[in-house]
Amino acid sequence: MRRSLMVAVMAVLAAPGLAFAQAAAGGDARAWVGPYAVLVAGFAMAFAAGLCGLGQGRAVAAAVDAMARQPGAAARIQTAMIIGLALIESLAIYVLVVAMILLFVQPIK
Amino acid sequence: MGVIEHPPIFRLPGIPDHVTYTWFVMVVLTAVAFVASRHVQLVPRGMQNFMEVVLEQIGQLIDDVMGPEGRRYLPFIATLGLFILAANLASLIPGFAGPTANLNTTAACAIIVFVAYHYIGIRKHGPITYLQHFMGPVPLLLKPLMFVIEIISHLARPLSLTLRLFGNMVGGHILLAIIFFLMGLQGLIGWAMSGSVAGAIVGGVGGLVMIVFTVGFLYPLKMLVSFLQAFIFVMLTMLYISGAIEEADHGHGAEHH
Repeated sequence: MRRSLMVAVMAVLAAPGLAFAQAAAGGDARAWVGPYAVLVAGFAMAFAAGLCGLGQGRAVAAAVDAMARQPGAAARIQTAMIIGLALIESLAIYVLVVAMILLFVQPIK
Repeated sequence: MGVIEHPPIFRLPGIPDHVTYTWFVMVVLTAVAFVASRHVQLVPRGMQNFMEVVLEQIGQLIDDVMGPEGRRYLPFIATLGLFILAANLASLIPGFAGPTANLNTTAACAIIVFVAYHYIGIRKHGPITYLQHFMGPVPLLLKPLMFVIEIISHLARPLSLTLRLFGNMVGGHILLAIIFFLMGLQGLIGWAMSGSVAGAIVGGVGGLVMIVFTVGFLYPLKMLVSFLQAFIFVMLTMLYISGAIEEADHGHGAEHH
């Protein structure tokens, strides 16, 4: 399972390298950066969104648990939960910004 | 952004779009404030009533978070919050550019917050005492290290404030733009109107589903995000200000980045 996953990931990573090896050999040595940037942007956003979902799920689960135990403190818990969710979410937002820089600004050409 | 980018309906020559629409938001907020405070009555009606409710809510929030000292900063916090909220909501009007979907606007707001809470802290404690708070309650040997770490964490605050607001807004806009591009005249609706039978069936149904999805789900979601991000920006501003005020009493509480 793990080996096939690794092979699949390596195949995906190698695909643009193979496709653009000729262009790189032809003289434009940095032609491979663009396709890799697209790949990395997609993978980075996928990992960030998935792990951010896990983290936010834990936070919300704990907050809902606490709210069910103490309904009187629900408002304060909700405020704290929203702040926590924002702080967790900002990590995924950093990755989104990096992905957008890779896709749209393209600092390395 | 190439194919999904679309210019706003109204542009001033030589002025960036986000500045134009920041002015628009400023005009709207000024007009609302003028209408609300033109005939101030003891028993408020209409716009005055509405704005009093809004400000009272923000004041309640400040009381909850910052305690009794917080009411002094109500004008600053409420102005920031109302501006960010109006700018977020303005970006949802079709054909408008969002001021907060540009890094410059959000960075301006975050730098104002950064300067403001340091100014408040220095005015409250004096520069020497305020800088001493950065070193924290640790042994003397660790104080320089602590100082550097605190400086970095304080510098990360405006960065994270900037990027959170900007990323949330731009992410939503890119999502909406891609959905519109998929269902627009070059996408499903265009396919439905092209005359082919398969296009009429698949494109028509798919376009309808996407329109319902956008209007019924994505737009309310974006409005929720607009309110939530304005709330979070204001909330973190309050936490930073109260952290700068109270550092003498409570030492270092939880760090917020």
